[in-house]
Amino acid sequence: MIGGVFIYNHKGEVLISRVYRDDIGRNAVDAFRVNVIHARQQSRFPVVNIARTSFFYTKRSNIWLCAVAKQNINAAMVFEFLNKMIDIMQSYFGKISEENVKNNFVLIYELLDEILDFGYPQNSDAGVLKSFITQQGVRPVTREEQTNVTSAVTGQIGWRREGIKYRRNELFLDVIESVNLLMSQQGQVLSTHVAGRVAMKSYLSGMPECKFGINDKITVENRTKNPGDSTNPTNNSTANNSTNPTTTTTAATTKTAIAIDDCQFHQCVKLSKFESEHSISFIPPDGEFELMRYRTTKDISLPFRVIPLVREIGRTKMEVKVVVKSNFKPTLIGQKIEIRIPIPPNTCDVQLLCMKGKAKHKSSDNAIVWKMKRMGGMKESQLSAEIELTPNDKKKWNRPPISMSFEVPFAPSGFKVRYLKVFEHKLNYSDSETIKWVRYIGKSGLYETRS
Amino acid sequence: MPNIRGDAMRGLAVFISDIRNCKSREAELRRINKELTNIRQRFRADKTLDGYQKKKYVCKLLFIFLLGHDIDFGYMEAVNLLSSNKYTEKQIGYLFISVIMNSSSEMKQLIIQNIRNDIQSRNPIFINLALQCVANIGEREMATAFTNEIPRLLISGDTIDPVKQSAALCLLRLHRTSPDSLQLNTEWTARIIHLLNDQHLGVATAAVSLIDALVKRNPDEYKGCVNLAVSRLSRIVTSSYTDFQDYTYYFVPAPWLCVKLLRLLQNYPPPDDPSIRSRLNECLDTILNKAQEPLKSKKVQHSNARNAVLFEAINLIIHMDCESTLLVRACNQLGQFLQNRETNLRYLALESMCLLAASEFSHEAVKKHQETVINALKSERDVSVRQRAVDLLYAMCDRSNAEDIVQEMLTYLETADYTIREEMVLKIAILSEKYAVDYKWYLDIMLKLIRIAGDFVSEEVWYRVIQVVVNRNDVQSYAAKIAFEALQAPACHENMIKVAGYILGEYGNLIALDPRSTPMIQFELLHSKYHLCSPTTRSLILSTYMKFINLFPEIKQHVQDILRHDSNFRSSDVEIQQRATEYLRLSEICSPTVLATVLEIMPPYPEKQSPLLVRLKQKKPLMEAEPSGETPTTPGAHTDDGPKLADTAIHLNQQHQQQQQNGLLVSLDTIESNGHYNESTSYSLPSSSVPSAAPLQSAKKLLFKNSDIIFENDIIQIGIKVEIMKSILRVEFYYGNKTNSNLTNMSSSISLADELDPDLRINMEPIKSSIDPKAQIKQAGTIECIKDYGNLPKMNVAFFYSNVPQKIDFPLPLYINKFIEKAEMDSNNYFLRWRNLDKPDQECQKIFPAKFPMNHNECSQKLDSFGWSDLAGIDVNADNFCGAGILHTTAQQIGCLYRLEPNKQAKMYRLTIRTSKGGVAARLAELLEDQF
Repeated sequence: MIGGVFIYNHKGEVLISRVYRDDIGRNAVDAFRVNVIHARQQSRFPVVNIARTSFFYTKRSNIWLCAVAKQNINAAMVFEFLNKMIDIMQSYFGKISEENVKNNFVLIYELLDEILDFGYPQNSDAGVLKSFITQQGVRPVTREEQTNVTSAVTGQIGWRREGIKYRRNELFLDVIESVNLLMSQQGQVLSTHVAGRVAMKSYLSGMPECKFGINDKITVENRTKNPGDSTNPTNNSTANNSTNPTTTTTAATTKTAIAIDDCQFHQCVKLSKFESEHSISFIPPDGEFELMRYRTTKDISLPFRVIPLVREIGRTKMEVKVVVKSNFKPTLIGQKIEIRIPIPPNTCDVQLLCMKGKAKHKSSDNAIVWKMKRMGGMKESQLSAEIELTPNDKKKWNRPPISMSFEVPFAPSGFKVRYLKVFEHKLNYSDSETIKWVRYIGKSGLYETRS
Repeated sequence: MPNIRGDAMRGLAVFISDIRNCKSREAELRRINKELTNIRQRFRADKTLDGYQKKKYVCKLLFIFLLGHDIDFGYMEAVNLLSSNKYTEKQIGYLFISVIMNSSSEMKQLIIQNIRNDIQSRNPIFINLALQCVANIGEREMATAFTNEIPRLLISGDTIDPVKQSAALCLLRLHRTSPDSLQLNTEWTARIIHLLNDQHLGVATAAVSLIDALVKRNPDEYKGCVNLAVSRLSRIVTSSYTDFQDYTYYFVPAPWLCVKLLRLLQNYPPPDDPSIRSRLNECLDTILNKAQEPLKSKKVQHSNARNAVLFEAINLIIHMDCESTLLVRACNQLGQFLQNRETNLRYLALESMCLLAASEFSHEAVKKHQETVINALKSERDVSVRQRAVDLLYAMCDRSNAEDIVQEMLTYLETADYTIREEMVLKIAILSEKYAVDYKWYLDIMLKLIRIAGDFVSEEVWYRVIQVVVNRNDVQSYAAKIAFEALQAPACHENMIKVAGYILGEYGNLIALDPRSTPMIQFELLHSKYHLCSPTTRSLILSTYMKFINLFPEIKQHVQDILRHDSNFRSSDVEIQQRATEYLRLSEICSPTVLATVLEIMPPYPEKQSPLLVRLKQKKPLMEAEPSGETPTTPGAHTDDGPKLADTAIHLNQQHQQQQQNGLLVSLDTIESNGHYNESTSYSLPSSSVPSAAPLQSAKKLLFKNSDIIFENDIIQIGIKVEIMKSILRVEFYYGNKTNSNLTNMSSSISLADELDPDLRINMEPIKSSIDPKAQIKQAGTIECIKDYGNLPKMNVAFFYSNVPQKIDFPLPLYINKFIEKAEMDSNNYFLRWRNLDKPDQECQKIFPAKFPMNHNECSQKLDSFGWSDLAGIDVNADNFCGAGILHTTAQQIGCLYRLEPNKQAKMYRLTIRTSKGGVAARLAELLEDQF
C-alpha cells in the first residue's frame, strides 16, 4: 500500500509531504531527493528502490510527484493513482506548477486525505470530490445536500447526483487517439499501436441511460448473426459529424469493423451488460469524464510516412533529405505537424532548404525542427539539409530516430461511433431531442522513423 | 578592436549567468549544447579569429568542462593561444591545458614545444607561466622533456629571482611525481646547494624545499648543504627582524625558511666540524633564548611563527641528541608550555617531551614536570591531549617514580575516556611489571587493574599475570590469597574470574590450611561464579575443578557431581561437553598417582619478549616513543629474573587440547588426515596399487576396472573413476597434491587422436585452479562414444609447482570395452547369431600363450569385468568361455560375441571374437590377447 506521497519542485525542495503509514521514515523524503532528483546520472526508471523502499514517480513540467511504498505493491495501480491525482489537481486549479501547488497546499492536503486512506486509494473522481471539497469558505450544509454527498460517496450511483436539470440536453463525445509507430529506414513497420480514449461531456437532465455503439469486431459480428435483437442505428444518433458512420449494409460494417485488443471503461458503464450483450450502456456522470480507453494494433492507417535519406560525405559533411507523405483522404487536413530530425552533437553549421513550412536548426537540442501548420491529404513535402561537422574521432554517432508529431481529424485505428442513444424514462425528453456532437482526433504518440 | 571591448569578455559573463539561472538540468544542457554549436561554428577551420575571441571561447569551453561535460574539440585553439604575445591569452591557454590535458601524443608534442619556446624566451612572465603549467601537469613526459631546461634556469646567473623561485618549485613538483625520470646532472649539485646562499630569501626558501627532497633521495651527494644551511640559519637567527623587510612575518624573521632549514638539518647527523657545530649550537641557543623574550605582538600569528621555529629547533635538538645543555633547556622551555593556555601548544609540548624523555640527557629534566603532567591528565579537557599526557607519563617512568606514576594512572583510569582505556591498561601493566621491585605490589596493582577496567583488559594482560605467577615461586601463595579475596567481591569481572580460577587451580593448596579458605569454600566460591560466565571461562573453570581433584581429593565427589550435571555433561557447547566427559572419565578410571602426573603444576614459561609490548606496538605503531630503547640506560634490576615470558601465553586451554590430540581424539584424527589425500588410493584395488607405475605400463589398467590411478609422480597423483551408462561414460578425475605447497594454475584437457572426425565427445567441467598441500580435487564430466575407435585420447595436465610450470601428457586408458553392455542369451540364440556373423572382417581369431596360471575362475572374472557376459553352459566344453555384449555408440549398437578356448596342455588360449561391425572384433581381440 502507498506509504506516502511527496511533491517536490525542480530543485528538490519538498512542497507537499503526506505520510500514510508508519513504515515510511522521515528520511525517505531526502533519500528520493538525493538519489533521484539530485542524482548525477539522470534516472531513467519510473520506479527506484532505495534501502528496501520503492519510489514511484512522475514529472509534470517542473514538479516531481512521488509515491513511496515499503511493501511489494502493484506499480501500475500506483501510477494510475498518481495520474489520477494530477487530473484531480488540474481540474481544481489548472496547470500544475510550483506556484499553483504552493498556493493550494491546504486544498492538496485535503484532497490527499480524501483520495487515500491508510495508503488505499479511494474515490478519485474529480466531479464527486468537487461536491464536498470546495475552495470556498465553510458554509452551512443543508440536510439535503448532506444526504446527497453521502449517497454520492457511498451510494450505488456514486458518480451522479439526482435532480439535475438542463434546458438544452447536450452530449459531446470525442474520440481521441494517439498513434505510436516505429518504422525502419526501409519503410518497414517495426511496431505500431493506437492508444485511444473516448471522452464525454454530458449536460443531460435527470438520470438518463445512454447506449453507445462502436464498430468493434465482436459487436458487429454478433449483430450479423442475429440482426433482430439489436436496435437499428439511426442517422441522428451521430449527427454533426462529417465522418460519422452511416448505416450501411452488414457487409460494409464487417469491412470497417476493428479489432480492439483491450479496453477499459469508466465505472459508470455496466460491465455485466457489456459482458453478456457486448453493448456499452451507462448512466453518465454530469460534466466531463472519460468513458473508455482502448488499444488496437491491427489495420492501423498511418497518417504520415517519413522517408529519410542520410548521406555522410567525408568526416566533416553530411546531407540529410527528408520526405513526408500524407496518407489520408485529400478532403482532410492534418495540423500542427512537426518533424524533429536529430543531428550529430559535433555539428557546427546547418544549411536548410524546405518546400513547405518552416525549418530551423535548434542547436540547444541538437536537432532540426521542421514545422508545418497544415497539410492536406495525399500530399508530399521535402526538406533537405547540409550539415557541417567538426571532425571527431572519439565515438560514432548512433543516429537517433526521426520523430514526428501531428494532429488529424480522423481516427487512425478506424474506430467509429455507430450510435449513441439516450433514454430517460422519468423526464419526458426523447433521444431525438438531445443534441449530440461527435468529433475524431488522431494525434501522434511516439511516431518515429529510423534514419 | 580589443580596446573597445576591453578584456572583460562580456560573452563569457553572460554565458555563465545564463547557466546559473537555468532552472533544471535539462535547461542547462540545452544552453550548453547551443553554446557548443556556436563555438564549433566559430572554430571552423576556414574562419579566422582574433586572439580575444579565441580566448573567450576557450574560456567558455573550460567553464563547460568544469561543469562536468565532455569537451572533445578546441584543443588546437587553446594551443594556439600559447603562442600569443598577450599575457591574458597565454594565461588562458595555459589554464586550459593544465586543466584539460589531452592524452593524444601529437598534441602533447605541440604543447611541449610551445612550453619550451616560452621557457627559452626572454620574458620572465612567460617563463613563469610555462613553469607553472609544467608543475600543474607534472607528468612523466614533462619531466623527461625539461630535465635539462629547468635546472639550467635555476642555476644560470642571468635569470631573475622570481623565475628561479618558480623553477625550484617546479623541479620539486616533478621530482615528487616522477622521481626516476628526472635526472639531475651531478655537476649542478654544488650550484643548487649554493642557492641556499642566494641573496633573495624567496629563492632560498624554494631551494631549501627542493634540496630537502633531493637529500632524501641521495644524502651523500648533497652533504655540502649542511655548512651552508647552518650559516644561513645563523645569519637569519642572529639578525634583527628589521633586516628582512618582505620576509619578516609578524616580527619573526623568515620563519618558513628557518623551519625548512631546521628540517633539512634533521636529515643529517650532527656536523663533525667543531666550528660548524658550535655555530649550530649557538643558533639553537639563540632560538631558545628568543622564546624567553616577551612577545612583540599580541597577535596570534606572531606567537605561532615564533613557536613554529622553536618546535622545529627542539626537534633538531632531539634529533642530534648530543648537547645535554640544549636538551635540558628545551625541556624547560616545553615545561613552560605545559601550562600555556593554548591547547595546541600543550599538545605539542607533551608530544615533544615524550621524545625528550627517551634521551639520556634530558630524562631527568623531564621527570621534574611529573606533577604538571599528572595535573594535565586530570584537568585537561581535550582527550587527545590527555592521551599525550599518558604517553609522556609512560615515557618518563623509571624505577624511582614508577610507583607514583602507576598509582596515578590507576586512579585516573576509573574516570578515563573510553577510547584510551585499553591502551592505558596495557601501559599500566607494562610499567608495573617492568619496574616492580616487590611482586606482591605488582599483583596488587594487576588485580586492581582488572577490577577497575574489566572490559578493557585485553587477553594478553591477564595471560601475562598468570605467566608471572607461574614463573615466580615466591608470590604464588600470595597470589592465591589475593585471588581468593578478589573472588569474594559480589560482582566480579569475567577476566578476574579467569585469573582467580587459574591461580586457585594451580596454587589453591597453598592457602587451603587457612580455615577461611578451605578447599570446600574455595570450590564453592568459584562455583558460585560459574554460571555467570561465558563458555570459554567455564571450560577454564572446569579445568580448575579437575586440578582441584588432584589438590584436594576430599572434594572429588562434589567435582564429579558437577561434571556429571546435565548442563555440563550435555552442554550445547561442544568444548564444555567434551571437557566434562573426559575429565569425568579421567577422574573415575585413573589412580591418584596417574592423576597427579597428568594434573601436575604448570612448568615455568620460556622467556621471550613481553606480549604486552607487542600488543602495544600493534595498537599504535607510530605514537610510541620506544620505551625499550632506554632499557640499557636505565638501571635495570629486572633484566634477569624479571618475568619476560612466553610470547603467547600457553594456558590450560592449549595444554588441554594437546592432551586430546594425543589421546582420545586419535582415531578421529587419523581418519581426518587420511581423508585428505589418500582417498585417491582408497578406491584402487590392492593389485594395482603399485604407486610408481609408469603411465604407459598402467595404460591397460582400466581395462577390467572402473576406477584406478592413471598417473602418479612425486608431485601429483591422478585417479579416475568411471560409471557406464550405455554410450555415455560418467567420468570423475581425482587430482591429489602430494607436496607440501600449493599447486597453482591447474589446467587439464583431453585431446583426441583425430580432432576433425571425433569418435568421442568429451565434456568435462572446469578444473579448480589450485590444489592445497596434501589435498585432492575432483573434476567430473561425461564422455560419449560416437563411434568405435582404436586410438586412445590423450590427457594433458599442466600446473605450477612452486612457480615452476609442469606439464604431463599421457594416454587416457579409456578402452572401447568400457562401452560394452552385457547381453544374456541362451545357447540357440547364441549360435544363431554366431553363425550370422561370418563375413571375414567380422571375425578375429588370436592364439596366444598363457601369461598367468590357467585358472578358470579368474578368467571368468576377467571376462566379466571386461564388460561382456560370461555365459556358462552354452559351449559343450565346460572349460571354454562364451559370452556376448553390445557395444553402445551414438551412431550404432554393435553386437559382440566371443569364445575363449583354453588349451591347458599347450598353455595356450584361442580367442575368437565376432562383431556385427567389421574391424571391431580385431580391436577387442588386441585388447585381450595378452591379458590371460
